[in-house]
Amino acid sequence: MSILEVRKLTKQFGGLTALADISFQVKEGEIHGLIGPNGAGKSTLFKNIAGFYTPTKGEIIYQGKKIAGKPPHVIAKMGIVRTFQETTLFQEMTVFENVLVGCFAKSRINLFSSILGLDKQLQKIAREKVLEVLEFIGLSNRKNQLASELPLGSQRALAISIALASEPKLMLMDEPFAGMNMEETKHMMDLTRKVQESGITIVLVEHDMKAVMGLCHFLTVLNFGHLLAEGTPEEIRHNEQVIEAYLGGAK
Amino acid sequence: MELILQSIINGLIQGGFFALFAVGLVLIFGVMGVVNFAHGELVMVGAYTVWLLHAQNGIPFIPVILIAIILVTVIGLLMERFLFRPTCNDPLAGLICSIGILFILQVLATVVGGDGPSKQVPPPYQGTLILFDFLRVPYQRVFSFFVSAAGLGTLWYFLTRTKLGWALRAVALDREASALQGININRISMIAIGVGGALAGLAGALMAPLTNINPHMGHNVIITAFIVTIVGGVGSLSGAVIAAVIYALFHTFITVYFGGVIATICGLLLMVVVLIIKPTGIMGVRVSE
Amino acid sequence: MKIIIRLLKIIAVIIFLAGLIVLPHYLKFHYQDLLIFLTVNVLVVASYRIVTLTGEWSLIHAVMMGVGAYTAALLFKNFNLAIWFTLPLAGGMAGLIAALLSFPLFRMTQFYFLIGSFAAGEAIRLTWMQFIVPFGGSGGLSGIEPPMIGSIDFMDPIPYYYLALGVVSACLFILYRIEKSRIGLTLHAVHWKAPLAQSVGVDTWRYRALAFIIGSFFVGIAGALKIHYLGTITPNQFGIGFMVFILIWVIVGGYNTIFGPVIGVVVLTIFDESVRGFGELRPAIYGGVLIISILFLPLGLESIYTKFLTLCGIGGNSSDGPPP
Ligand SMILES: Nc1ncnc2c1ncn2[C@@H]1O[C@H](COP(=O)(O)OP(=O)(O)O)[C@@H](O)[C@H]1O
Ligand SMILES: [Mg+2]
Repeated sequence: MSILEVRKLTKQFGGLTALADISFQVKEGEIHGLIGPNGAGKSTLFKNIAGFYTPTKGEIIYQGKKIAGKPPHVIAKMGIVRTFQETTLFQEMTVFENVLVGCFAKSRINLFSSILGLDKQLQKIAREKVLEVLEFIGLSNRKNQLASELPLGSQRALAISIALASEPKLMLMDEPFAGMNMEETKHMMDLTRKVQESGITIVLVEHDMKAVMGLCHFLTVLNFGHLLAEGTPEEIRHNEQVIEAYLGGAK
Repeated sequence: MELILQSIINGLIQGGFFALFAVGLVLIFGVMGVVNFAHGELVMVGAYTVWLLHAQNGIPFIPVILIAIILVTVIGLLMERFLFRPTCNDPLAGLICSIGILFILQVLATVVGGDGPSKQVPPPYQGTLILFDFLRVPYQRVFSFFVSAAGLGTLWYFLTRTKLGWALRAVALDREASALQGININRISMIAIGVGGALAGLAGALMAPLTNINPHMGHNVIITAFIVTIVGGVGSLSGAVIAAVIYALFHTFITVYFGGVIATICGLLLMVVVLIIKPTGIMGVRVSE
Repeated sequence: MKIIIRLLKIIAVIIFLAGLIVLPHYLKFHYQDLLIFLTVNVLVVASYRIVTLTGEWSLIHAVMMGVGAYTAALLFKNFNLAIWFTLPLAGGMAGLIAALLSFPLFRMTQFYFLIGSFAAGEAIRLTWMQFIVPFGGSGGLSGIEPPMIGSIDFMDPIPYYYLALGVVSACLFILYRIEKSRIGLTLHAVHWKAPLAQSVGVDTWRYRALAFIIGSFFVGIAGALKIHYLGTITPNQFGIGFMVFILIWVIVGGYNTIFGPVIGVVVLTIFDESVRGFGELRPAIYGGVLIISILFLPLGLESIYTKFLTLCGIGGNSSDGPPP
């Protein structure tokens, strides 16, 4: 039932061990929270899973296949898509084009049909898909704006739209609520839940405890590159170690 | 055997020159992030100064070396202040500006020296040092070797033993972090290009009596500097010095046996191979992501 | 309003094309020559743009032009092939070499790519210099003739200009189509944010290599076009000097749209002619223009046009939606 399994994953940068012997599983269809103080190694873990880093040791198993060390685009094609901690968009393109890139990302390059315009059908399907995604996310009215002109909340939503357009099975979301006000956060939470309800498994890194506790079905807690605890939000809320290392300090 | 020994000596002397201009290029790139395409032309200006003042007007060699160093340093400082500083957010713009300077300096050289054949400077130091029966080194080369070694030694002392040198290396390692720590980036940039310019001027002045001087001599210099920089590791000064010596030996030997063009082709291929196998060079450290 | 603008645009294009066709008849021989080289250089910069579209600045483009030119020259001299065959084969050879080079070169990015491409190009160029057989060494090759079809002698500038104009227009059209296609869109994406593109499944290496191969293919054709007219070929025609000119044209013109580099090459060629009187000072004047345009017009000449449009309240990307 687990879509993703991380087995004894270790990542070192020179002498620094950013991740030490991490193991956990993500159940299909759930929102899985990944929390821990700054520098705990959450982003590094995402980069390992998404293929941006090669693990020093350990295995990452996705739908029964070992994926550690494969390049990012291959992993993306298998269905794992990562959103970035910093808001990352194609700033100079319109909202529509941003999402269109996501749609085309996996399709084969065919130079001749592109020059001769023989891929009309593909284009049409892609454009419809973009409109569908924008409708789903609620960005339809902004489709001709430049990405750089959007307010923060819409920029984050657009980042998710790009990811959705590439039809992922597993989304790794790195701090999607950072810097948002209450209203934007609430909107984003609804969106996250909507994505999950459409059948996509989500791993969520987030500092906003209210959001995490409200959204996640299961939590994994990291601290200084080590696995500190795991359990349901209820269990984590009452875990002594976690309170000491993290929750206590934050409150 | 004799040929080999002779080539090793020649290679070492050559390595001194290579190190002088390559280190400057590395310093400028490290601190400012600009690839100074006009670096070869700075060396050319140094050589022209010697030709004009020493060979044409009879001013003694040593003061002329100093004048060359000062002149090239000033050109470097002007480039920093008026070109690289305004474009510091766009490394490509800096590169393009340096190409503009390259053209201007070449034309200036043509205006000063005329368009005719390459110029020669008669060696100020005559005679030959006879080490063994079979090993002869002209005094001019001996002089050049020791002066370039002294120049590099001074640089090493400056970078490792003075506060300013330390700041310079800090900026080369991490520009933003250094700025946060209160290091004045503009001042350090000026020092970097000043030092780079001084070394290029020195290299040009020392090479003048040993090479053909013409407005386009910078081309070979910049190719060599690129090769040395890449092989040594971008941003690594000690790497550049080591690579300069290794490459000079490599180049000298291949030139002796196969000719200069083949030597340069091999050098370029060596560089491509290094780029593929270890893009950070022999002494470079890996920067992730 | 929109329709009028559209109509005006169409009329402008027609006048422009008609102008291009009648132009050589009103020029002296020297300028007819120049017009042919300008036409070829338009293809050079347009093909360079597709390489820069991925965000990598290559210094091997001039050498790739040389690969095409040498291929055409050798095919003509050794097998007496007609220009109809040498043109595509020249492009094909440049594309093939680019494909081989893309394995080592695209392991690098940015600074390393710049230097790596320079090194690879210099190595190729020095090979032409070193080997008299078959490349003719530094003296190069001569006696490459333009074709003769029926009674039309393409040695004449005017027919050759029409030939070049036809070939270059066709190539530009294809390049334009590529840029407007989904491949072009993805190339832009790789340029702006390679990691984001990767994270949704774009094989950035493949796209970089593809852009490089396409650009090399078309500049190879440009090389063959030039050499058939010029008749002689030397390694120095494709040295860093010419590469720098390509850079200058593209940067002075601007590289945000396909029109920028073309504007750049046209304007600077006219400028170059007008300073012909300065003789040996010309490169310095060029250098000065380069520096001034980088400092004061960093987005190139094309940005003047874009600014003009925004001033008039038409065009611009943001006019469709309300400002945030
Ligand atoms: N590319 C890298 N090179 C060296 N150290 C890194 C690199 N990326 C992350 N680290 C280190 O790994 C640790 C974990 O960082 P990160 O994964 O960003 O933490 P988090 O996202 O949990 O805040 C930090 O100590 C950070 O300095
Ligand atoms: Mg993080």
